[in-house]
Amino acid sequence: MKRTSDSKWVTPAMLIASYKKSPQAQAIERFYHKHRTVLMLILIAFLCIFPFFTNKSYVLGVICRIFLYSILAGALNTINGYSGQFCLGIAGFFCVGAYSEAILATAAKMNFWVILPIAGLLTAAIGLLVALPTLKMQGIYLAIVTLGFSEIARLIALNWTSLTGGPMGIKGIPVPVIFGFAIRSTRHFYYLYLAVAILFLVVTSRVIRSRIGRAWMSIREDQLAAKSLGVYTSRYKALNFMYGAFWAGIAGAIYAPYVRFIDSTYFTLDEGWNILSMMIIGGQGTLVGPIVGSVIVNYLTELLRPIGQWRLVAYALLIIVMMWWRPQGLAGASNSIVAVKGDTKLRKNSPRKEVQA
Amino acid sequence: MSTPALFEAKNICKYFGGLKAVQQVDMTIERGDIYGIIGPNGAGKTTFFNACSGIDKPTKGHVYLEGEEITHLAPEQIAKKGMARTFQNIKLFRYMSVLENVKIGFHNQLKSTLFDAILHTKTYKQDEAFAAERGEQIIEQVGLGPFRDTLAGNLPYGVQRKVEIARALALDPKIILLDEPAAGMNPSETHNLMKFIKDLNAQGYTIAVIEHDMKFVMNACNKILVLNFGQKISEGGPSEVQQDSKVIEAYFGKGSFTEEGRHGNA
Amino acid sequence: MDYFLNQLINGICQGAIYALMAIGYSVVVGVVGMVTFTHGEVIMIGAFAAYYMFFLSGNQILLGLVVSFLASGVLGYFVYKVCYERFFNAPRHVSLLCTIGFSMLIKNLGQIIFGPNQKPMLDVVQQNFFKIGVVQISQLQIVIILTVVIMASLLSIVFNKTKFGIMLKAVSQDKTASYMVGIDVKKVAMLGNCLGCGLGGIAGLLLAIYYQTLQATMGGPLGMKAFASSVLGGLTDVRFSALGGLCIGIIENLGITISSASFRDMFAFGFLILVLIIRPQGFVSKKGAKV
Repeated sequence: MKRTSDSKWVTPAMLIASYKKSPQAQAIERFYHKHRTVLMLILIAFLCIFPFFTNKSYVLGVICRIFLYSILAGALNTINGYSGQFCLGIAGFFCVGAYSEAILATAAKMNFWVILPIAGLLTAAIGLLVALPTLKMQGIYLAIVTLGFSEIARLIALNWTSLTGGPMGIKGIPVPVIFGFAIRSTRHFYYLYLAVAILFLVVTSRVIRSRIGRAWMSIREDQLAAKSLGVYTSRYKALNFMYGAFWAGIAGAIYAPYVRFIDSTYFTLDEGWNILSMMIIGGQGTLVGPIVGSVIVNYLTELLRPIGQWRLVAYALLIIVMMWWRPQGLAGASNSIVAVKGDTKLRKNSPRKEVQA
Repeated sequence: MSTPALFEAKNICKYFGGLKAVQQVDMTIERGDIYGIIGPNGAGKTTFFNACSGIDKPTKGHVYLEGEEITHLAPEQIAKKGMARTFQNIKLFRYMSVLENVKIGFHNQLKSTLFDAILHTKTYKQDEAFAAERGEQIIEQVGLGPFRDTLAGNLPYGVQRKVEIARALALDPKIILLDEPAAGMNPSETHNLMKFIKDLNAQGYTIAVIEHDMKFVMNACNKILVLNFGQKISEGGPSEVQQDSKVIEAYFGKGSFTEEGRHGNA
Repeated sequence: MDYFLNQLINGICQGAIYALMAIGYSVVVGVVGMVTFTHGEVIMIGAFAAYYMFFLSGNQILLGLVVSFLASGVLGYFVYKVCYERFFNAPRHVSLLCTIGFSMLIKNLGQIIFGPNQKPMLDVVQQNFFKIGVVQISQLQIVIILTVVIMASLLSIVFNKTKFGIMLKAVSQDKTASYMVGIDVKKVAMLGNCLGCGLGGIAGLLLAIYYQTLQATMGGPLGMKAFASSVLGGLTDVRFSALGGLCIGIIENLGITISSASFRDMFAFGFLILVLIIRPQGFVSKKGAKV
């Protein structure tokens, strides 16, 4: 009967159950578990044929953004939500990935499909560089250092004119070509982004449901206990950073040819806050949380466009509301330390003593 | 007699500035022992444990596990070498289920790398099968069957202790260090725990335990170390230690007491 | 050489303002026991409050100081209510994320209400220069340095000679013990927080007068600099935090003479990394906030 918490694959039904434990919720959960793969395939099939129902590239463009930011928020979630490291610098990795692609495509004229993994690995290497000095840091120290890294990445992009075009950026980024077919329109990029997003989800879900994912989660929950169980926390924290950076780099590498022109203004701190909002609102510590966040924030961006900057006020309020009501986010991991509010029902030690911020 | 003892601590000193928390303490544990460490509050027992298990490095002295020096290794390295420990204030992963807690203990026995996980290779499948199977085994062995999927933090205190010990067992350890396992327990819980630890020992686990509960220590342990003010004041079997005047003095103070009083202990 | 010395003077003046920011920050973090991202916005609001007040009733610096202190203090009250009060027993990341949200809120509201562009600050101090040997120091700089010194001294008096100050120190060292001796921990934490924020507000005003400009987005880098300065003091020691601020001011002013202006904020970051590498817990021995 129970498949409640054996793995961190949080199903929509479990999320519903975490809101209210009614018999209906359990029935939905049972149904979902039985037919999980089929339901996923139906969803993917729907997403595949969706572009044929609409001719507006505007709509497809928004969904492209949703896919892209699912990857970015998902990468951030791997670092913050799964291993509990407080990283605020995802925009920096996004920047590195995008510029890598742009430079290699325009200056070295390499093939997009060759560049893609290179950009990811390059960004992962940068991730390692950022992780190394910060392995012993916690909480706000790590947060500020990663924030600083993000700014450094932007400043380098802005100032290293010979490499990055400086304030003028890089233009004329070529589109990817596959078997002679040029991926040019929004509809084409829709499929590319969908494919990469699915790839990200499948790979990440497999990593999370392995000893590596368990090691990451043990670091999040109690680092000292993890150490005393033989988890080499420094190695896994570094690996975690590299993994998140890799995917943020991939996201950057598929972003550059989509917009055809990039400069440092695309990768400001505000971009980082944007991605962070998606993770916080949508959910940390689950695979579906960042997707929910990406959908909500990008949808709201379009819906609230008429009110201009007020929508940023709306996101800020949503973050505060989340922290008050449901710190793990709408679809976040309820069975983890990210969900603890302080009126916890657990006994004995108060979370304050145990947790690193 | 030429094989080294399972665990040896030699001349362990831990100073915090001017405070000599532990001074020149030696301890030798043989395979199959249940070794007790007792002493009044503040005697330095947990500090000594921490120095032995890599949480704190001793200021002076050496620690050996199966003849190999582990004095300056990190806690995770020591765990990998086969020393498991529990903590005085129970460091469970409180928001994870009991089964998940135990599975983390298997970390070093599994071999999957990132690529194994992504590609679901044979190694990965073997690892997951092992973790699932052995996890169930340990949970049954420890008697935690009904709590398998419960969040560890929601369990009663006595059961949480067992989960911590189950998690330690998942390391397949050569020696288990228990820091005040009976703390906060009522007499019947303590009795159960004592039986449980003796059972574990009968199954072949070597155990070192810090405890305050004298009934527990005198009945479960075959060797005892007594600390006071960070120094070793006695060592030996339960009856020797009970009669040692230095131990009595440490617990009850100097001063005369009647013959009846002395034999009325424990 | 003259140029160097003059930049040094600039650095000391700038550093004084940063020191005041850092003092405010470490008071808040020390008393409340949680780190915050909101200090930059608190500083910004202080500057704008004085700016608008100047429109209404003239450019009196003393009035400006009072208004900026009060405005930021009041904002601090709201920060306390929203981000700190209910999270005393929660894991630290919850309050931290809440302060991130709050700072986003204020920053964007500020851009909406005040407009996103830079605004010229009104003159409050006469533009006189004094020459001491080869260096030149302006009246403005003297006023700023004096203000900071006076604020720091007042704070010192409050901490050491008033009952309230002793309660502040008690609460920052151990809340449970304070509660047990009858201190209203929540109220003291709230007031301490408002005090720290008020000092931030004054720093904001000083910045605006010094640079003759203010902008709704100025909070971000300032918050980071306040934090970077306080790291020297383990986030909670007021004296070392002030020292950190002074160091950053000097390093920044000397640093931009040899590098591009857009790297200005990186010096504070470099200082932060340096301190974290050399001595991560800061140069204090007493227990401070849990981070």
